Amino acid sequence: MMETRGSARRAPRLELVDGGVERRGRWLLRDVDLTIEPAMLTSVVGPNGAGKSTLLRLLSGTWRLTEGKALLGGFDLSALPRRQAARRVAYVPQTVRPTFEFTVREFVTLGRYPHESRLFGTRSADRGWIDRCLDDTDVLALAERRVTTLSGGELQRVLMARCLATEAEVLLLDEPTSNLDLAHGLDLLGLARNLVDEGRSVVLVLHDLNAAARFADRVAVLDGGALIAEGPPAEVLNPDLLRRVFRVEAVPLEGSAAPVFDFEPLGARVL
Amino acid sequence: MRIAFGGNQAGFWWYMAAGAVLLLAFAGIGLFRGAVPIDEGDVLAVLARHLLPGERAADPSVDTIVWSLRAPRVVVAAMVGGCLALAGAQMQGLFRNPLASPGIVGTSTGAAAGAVFALTFGLAGTFLLAAPLFAVAGALLSLLIVTRIATRDGYTPVTTLLLAGVALNALLAAFNSWLIARSWEQYEAARRIAYWMMGGVTDRGWVHVGMVLPGMVIGCAIAVWFARDLDLLLEGEEVAASLGVDIEKTKRAVLWSAAILTGSAVAVSGVVGFVGLVVPHLVRLLLGPVHRRLLPAAFLTGAWFVVGADLLARTLVAPEEVFLGVVTAFVGAPFFLFLLVRHESEVAASR
Repeated sequence: MMETRGSARRAPRLELVDGGVERRGRWLLRDVDLTIEPAMLTSVVGPNGAGKSTLLRLLSGTWRLTEGKALLGGFDLSALPRRQAARRVAYVPQTVRPTFEFTVREFVTLGRYPHESRLFGTRSADRGWIDRCLDDTDVLALAERRVTTLSGGELQRVLMARCLATEAEVLLLDEPTSNLDLAHGLDLLGLARNLVDEGRSVVLVLHDLNAAARFADRVAVLDGGALIAEGPPAEVLNPDLLRRVFRVEAVPLEGSAAPVFDFEPLGARVL
Repeated sequence: MRIAFGGNQAGFWWYMAAGAVLLLAFAGIGLFRGAVPIDEGDVLAVLARHLLPGERAADPSVDTIVWSLRAPRVVVAAMVGGCLALAGAQMQGLFRNPLASPGIVGTSTGAAAGAVFALTFGLAGTFLLAAPLFAVAGALLSLLIVTRIATRDGYTPVTTLLLAGVALNALLAAFNSWLIARSWEQYEAARRIAYWMMGGVTDRGWVHVGMVLPGMVIGCAIAVWFARDLDLLLEGEEVAASLGVDIEKTKRAVLWSAAILTGSAVAVSGVVGFVGLVVPHLVRLLLGPVHRRLLPAAFLTGAWFVVGADLLARTLVAPEEVFLGVVTAFVGAPFFLFLLVRHESEVAASR
């Protein structure tokens, strides 16, 4: 079971004001106004190519905006030195298999980069923190394994440990549950929930709408590079919007507090 | 196979200690053995005369052989090996590709072209660092060309990297041949350049040590300063940037460092191939990819490897000599093919 014992620091507000990004003559996202309130679990949903990953890149400051601004606690994120930004906002891209044979401990220690000194490298305080992050994500036993030998689920948890190692208050995770089995997926969402309850903000890209509805405080719906809706799941996720954005027929399931649906393809023929 | 792990530095220190012993042993053989047999006591007397304080008398001919021929040769071999291995380790990190090295992607040939240019136009004699400076410029230029051609969106596929290297190597080799042919009337000069191109440290003196030293110091300093950034770059530019690495600055610094190291080495030794490929690769297998350990270990390993290879070059067909570049190619080329086959089968297995 994954849990955390992190210090409760309140996250700064992260905003995208009129944000847009153009790459090779194509607008990947445009006119996006989104505020990630402190200590909220926000889920970003949308069909393939909607701009979900792009949104996280803009929020993390790793991509420059073509239009608009990203603000961290009211300050322009692009004006902040990269190392300082990395101490406050952590971004985990979609999982790529590592090719270099770091041990799990070395791999997670990469997350300490924004805190390390160039001359003295990792200090003993850092090492203690690494142990905690490994423990919190239930991978301490794997510490001396090479990352190239991990299973998809183990790797995902190691990536989560590296993300925690940065001590960032805002965590942006791109499809963190995609390689996980049901139990580990729920565990990870539970971990995200704990982090939020401690005061951090977490933004997740999720494909499972029902998981998004159940775990998230806010849902942001993207389609075709535009923000279609944003708000509490109960207000945002309704059959009408789901039909429009995802091209599915959503049948509400009774007896659940969250808006949970059964999905059928649009225009399914009855034999 | 791996001997140094995340929290365990001991394997690293054992490896460095063993490397230092090997380097001293090979250097010792290089100093005490040679075409002219010299009594061990006399060699020690010469070394004492130069290295210890106080006045000592020595036989001038023995002094010349040991101090002016054998000693600088060993020192130059160690420096060249260290520089090439370090440059290779950096390039493999930069391209995120274990097949990158100064020789494979044309950096060495570029450096050679710069140096040949300086030699044939008589610029090399103008001041001590002229040849190394031209070699560094050639190395930098060829590295920039390969980066431009082979890297897309921060990713360098093996195939484009190797193909760009093959094309650049062929082009630069033709350029070098043309430059040498231009100076064919001065037979002696052309022969010297052609011999130098084949790679070796024969007849290198203290002046050559002086030619490598500045580049080696600068290159090593940059390499050490950016070692940690290179660790993060291995995980891809996006991850590195999200963790706070200044990607453009790091790439520029590492390119400069690799070019300075390669250029300085090639300017005195010609093209000694495969050192920058084989050495960092083996060291990474033993110590892992963390550059704080990898870079110094690759430097030391390159040093003893080339001093050892030079011993073979002098003794295999004594009293004749084999070119040092031939010896390293005999070791390195099969290893490169092995890596290529293994890489291909890994790619096939992951499909």
